[in-house]
Amino acid sequence: MKSYIKLNNSCLDFPIYEGSDLSFRNKISSLGKKDGFAKSNIITSGRRIVRGLDNINLEINTGDKIAIIGPNGAGKTTLLKLLTGIYVPTSGTVEINGKVSSMIDLGFGFLDDATGYENILLSRIIQGESIKNKQHIIEFAEEFSGLGEYLSLPIRTYSSGMKSRLALSSAIHNVPDILLIDEFFSTGDIEFSKKSRDKITEIMDNSSIMLFASHDLNLVKELCTKAMYMKNGQISYYGDIDKACSVYENDYL
Amino acid sequence: MNFLRNNIAIKDLVFSIQNYYSWMFMAYFDLKLKYRKTYLGPWWVVLGMAISAGILCLLWSTIFNLDWKNFLLYLFSGFIIWTWIMTIIVDGPEVFYGNSSLLKTYAIPPIFHVLRKSCLNLLLFFHHLPLIFILLLILQPNIDSRVIFTLPLGMLLIFINSVLYTSIIGIFSARYRDVEPTVKALMAPMLLLTPVLWKPEMLGEYINYIYLNPFTYMIGIIRNDLVGQEFDAYIWYGAFAITIAQLIFFIIIYSLKKNRIVFWV
Repeated sequence: MKSYIKLNNSCLDFPIYEGSDLSFRNKISSLGKKDGFAKSNIITSGRRIVRGLDNINLEINTGDKIAIIGPNGAGKTTLLKLLTGIYVPTSGTVEINGKVSSMIDLGFGFLDDATGYENILLSRIIQGESIKNKQHIIEFAEEFSGLGEYLSLPIRTYSSGMKSRLALSSAIHNVPDILLIDEFFSTGDIEFSKKSRDKITEIMDNSSIMLFASHDLNLVKELCTKAMYMKNGQISYYGDIDKACSVYENDYL
Repeated sequence: MNFLRNNIAIKDLVFSIQNYYSWMFMAYFDLKLKYRKTYLGPWWVVLGMAISAGILCLLWSTIFNLDWKNFLLYLFSGFIIWTWIMTIIVDGPEVFYGNSSLLKTYAIPPIFHVLRKSCLNLLLFFHHLPLIFILLLILQPNIDSRVIFTLPLGMLLIFINSVLYTSIIGIFSARYRDVEPTVKALMAPMLLLTPVLWKPEMLGEYINYIYLNPFTYMIGIIRNDLVGQEFDAYIWYGAFAITIAQLIFFIIIYSLKKNRIVFWV
């Protein structure tokens, strides 16, 4: 079965709620706004919306290794989250065929009082892994993270580098059909950086489709075959990787 | 039928029930983490419960001149079931915004978090249940054998209602943050209005008013048979009616607002 991703005129709007907009009082007071009763200008001027993704049309097929580049706030992570299924488009369609695995916000949701072992197990299980694979998950984490005895300590004792090692160990496991990665190479010491890069390259090579959001242009040129340059929630350029990088550099340098 | 099969709420519910091990494991783990760094662990909860119910019983039987033996089991079981229900009601509103990082990181159905929380609350209730059994052994009241069926069925009904209620209130309180303080403020007087600390017959001619309170049914389905009260079919009709009403409301609200939750938390 071939893996593919198809996006058709996909838009994603983020409703912005101010503190007061999350309360009943404002909702009630806005009922009387015609009489000049309402104090809030948030509701009277309509709800604020930020368009995170604007009219995205995209077709990605088996064998595509795509880099997503662009400035902060361009919509790179949002696009990845849309493809993961965390967000549903406000309008337009998203069609995905294949098992998706994502590495976004690694280590989010880790519990400070739980040990390294427990956090890895929890994060795998929440992603649907069976508890039967417990031994396998633990062995892999021991070997890959290299954290040794620290794995049986609560993670509040970890340094940030150690936490990111743990996070990466919990994310890397199986080879999915579609792999979505958000920037992550910046953490960890030299030894671990190399190790994780080797492992991820291996997984990237074996997955059918890969999307990789990064600011490291040299790295994406090394790992990807195509690139998507995003700007203001839109795809500004999609195609050849060198061309995409030069368009991006021309815009900002 | 097709409508139900394609409904988002039903689909998510079925999917999560099929993957029961993940939320059950998480709930068990939450419990484990709760007792870490304590010496007595779960016994603190049991001890606390025994002390407060014991004091209440002593106080009430003195003030109202009741037969304490008769009242002890009634008060204990009512108080223990009330504690379970109150935890469900008070914890419910934060189920989504308390898990915002998980909701924004993993593409798992939001109801997963609801089941995890409901399962944790059920496990906590299981801690207290032995207290009732110990009292039953000591006092040996005259109870009907139907309790073998009504006890598990009653617990199942409360569990189902806790899942439905938590999903509904979780969605509302993710959107409107006033919901949580409102619920908390209402729960204290509810204890006084529910037949937990007093018996319905003490109300005299006003006894029928207890049927206006949904908590009467939820407590009654478990407690009545445990303390050897006469079978009251209305309690069961009421509990089933509440479950069906909540189920319908859950299907509507969850299907409409599921995709918005991630933006609100």
